[in-house]
Amino acid sequence: MHYLTGLIMKALKELFDRIVQRVNINLRELDYDIHPLVKNIVPFDQLVKFYGFYGITPHHPLDFEFLHSNLAGSYFLGKCRTINSILYKSDIRGDELKKKGDVFQYQDYQILVSRDEGIRIEDSFLIKTLVHNFSHDPETLEKFFIRNTLSTHYANIHGSPTDGSFLGPFATVDLTTMNDCVIGAFSYVQAGEINHLHIEPGTVWVRNLDNFNFRYQYPLDKLSHYIHFTAGKPPQGLFMDFMEKHKKAFQRVFETVNIAPSVTVPQNASLDRYAVIKPKSLISDNVLVAQRAFLQNAWMGVGTNVQENCYIINSRLEGFNVTAHGAKIIETDLSQNIFVGFNSFLRGRSKGRLSIGKECIIMPHTIIDIKKPLAIPPGHLVWGLVTCPADLETNSISLKELTKVKEGFWRGSMFFEGNGASFVTAFRERIHHILEANGAFYDGIKDKGHAQKNQNISFNIIQPYPEGKLKGLFPTIIIRP
Amino acid sequence: MKSYLVKDLMVPLSEYATVPMGSTLFEAVLSLEKAQEEFDHTKYKHRGVLILDQQKRVVGKLNHLHALRALEPMEDESNTIRELDQFGFSSNFIRQLRKQRRQQAAPLEDLCEKAAQLKVEDFMHAAAEDEFIDHEATLDMAIHQLVEEKLPSLMVTQDDNTIGILRLADVFAAVYHAMAECTI
Repeated sequence: MHYLTGLIMKALKELFDRIVQRVNINLRELDYDIHPLVKNIVPFDQLVKFYGFYGITPHHPLDFEFLHSNLAGSYFLGKCRTINSILYKSDIRGDELKKKGDVFQYQDYQILVSRDEGIRIEDSFLIKTLVHNFSHDPETLEKFFIRNTLSTHYANIHGSPTDGSFLGPFATVDLTTMNDCVIGAFSYVQAGEINHLHIEPGTVWVRNLDNFNFRYQYPLDKLSHYIHFTAGKPPQGLFMDFMEKHKKAFQRVFETVNIAPSVTVPQNASLDRYAVIKPKSLISDNVLVAQRAFLQNAWMGVGTNVQENCYIINSRLEGFNVTAHGAKIIETDLSQNIFVGFNSFLRGRSKGRLSIGKECIIMPHTIIDIKKPLAIPPGHLVWGLVTCPADLETNSISLKELTKVKEGFWRGSMFFEGNGASFVTAFRERIHHILEANGAFYDGIKDKGHAQKNQNISFNIIQPYPEGKLKGLFPTIIIRP
Repeated sequence: MKSYLVKDLMVPLSEYATVPMGSTLFEAVLSLEKAQEEFDHTKYKHRGVLILDQQKRVVGKLNHLHALRALEPMEDESNTIRELDQFGFSSNFIRQLRKQRRQQAAPLEDLCEKAAQLKVEDFMHAAAEDEFIDHEATLDMAIHQLVEEKLPSLMVTQDDNTIGILRLADVFAAVYHAMAECTI
């Protein structure tokens, strides 16, 4: 039963039904019906409460088209078009899109980009979802499309053109073209291209054809403590409780027009005005703090970045640390050059802190949740669920040892096939690229990145029809320089 | 050629190895051995045990393969390994993994303990509708059903009761004997 009666919000209701139907048609081969899962997932009255907003900077294109869509609480930057879609509290960050004249390297091909790339979202419903990066599909270089897709709370669609798919809460699709797939809650997929796959919750899959293949599967009984999603109820578990607990802190930053930063921000660093900064936080040079990030008693060393939906609480990050979209770091000390992957949840305790040695790679969607002190030695790869030293023994390997792997190995629920050195190199190169793109290496003259380019963003807000049949829908809006 | 009916070729249930639901693998294997010793109807031996519910109706079958599969290490783990194929792992990698897991698991080391714990309903083949045939059905019909459904045997019914089992071997023997009588 919808929260609607009569003609009020009729158009919005029809839009919702249309999207659900289109997703279901695409998923019919998997015999997957999303309707029971999503019918009450966002009350309709929420969709008229919040304004949409977009950023203006001299460093990014300004090219928006919003047609027959609801954009409640969503943020747009760069070049984006939405058609027949509902975007609820989502971030559509077009600050890494390709530009006309760029050359895209794919295997032995060097492909010229013929026009500025744009994000195109059509017939889709995105809930608190982050869309970022650029299309890595050589077949669609200028269009990063998301169509006939429904993604739920805190999902990430990162450089992944997506068609006819469903993403569960805290799911991530990264650098992967995806057609007609279901991605379960808290699953991470980076696999190049996938079609007609149903990925169970808690799967971490990183595949590079011809080089390596990594797969870890969470024990579902233990994962459900953190996140689970069943029909008729919103997503539940510790992750949702955590987000709910901190929701109130964001209300002030979204309700206030002019907001002054509560900490000193160096000239070469960027603190988004839609981030929450609590006392005793420190921001060093070349730091990037993105919108919807949360810092509390957080020591942010030089060149560190904290991306959307990241939380750093009572923690110290020594420098050149990447905290990828959705990662949480609590009561933890990070040495330099550590990568914490998407949606990871690292939680030490005030009397049992977690410390991570330099140059560690914490795989995307890793949960380290300890009650007693735990130290992760430098130069290790860590994955999966770690609650004690025995788990760490099973779910980690030194990068030195991994580089010696030629054919494959397995530990616990993790399977790795291929060349370990390629895997380590691929991660290191990506981490370097992320730091570079975020401006961590800016020396005052060269290597500007997001930390320098995103400093002075103007934000304009856009609003929907306030009542009547079109209530909740935004009028057609075209915004260009 | 003589026109056989199913009831002419079936092995009566009373001569077949049966165990009730809730029996252990150990009990099922003993029952099979006992039936083989007592049964001398043809040169074909029993290759399975029928599982009966409280009303003595056949609800499943257990053959050598089912019994051996039950002794395999942890089904959950087998599923996980099977899934790796879907994720693009090579058959060579999966083979190596299986080999190592088997060596670690050593399923025959605690054979007696396992056989006394495993319940037949957990690893039997549950009987499906197309595995039953009426006792008055002709041999032609039985052959069609065996071939079409690729079955090793059919359960023979009279009214609502299972009264016997028609085995592929017995059907083949009947066909063979009929052929032997042909004058070509």
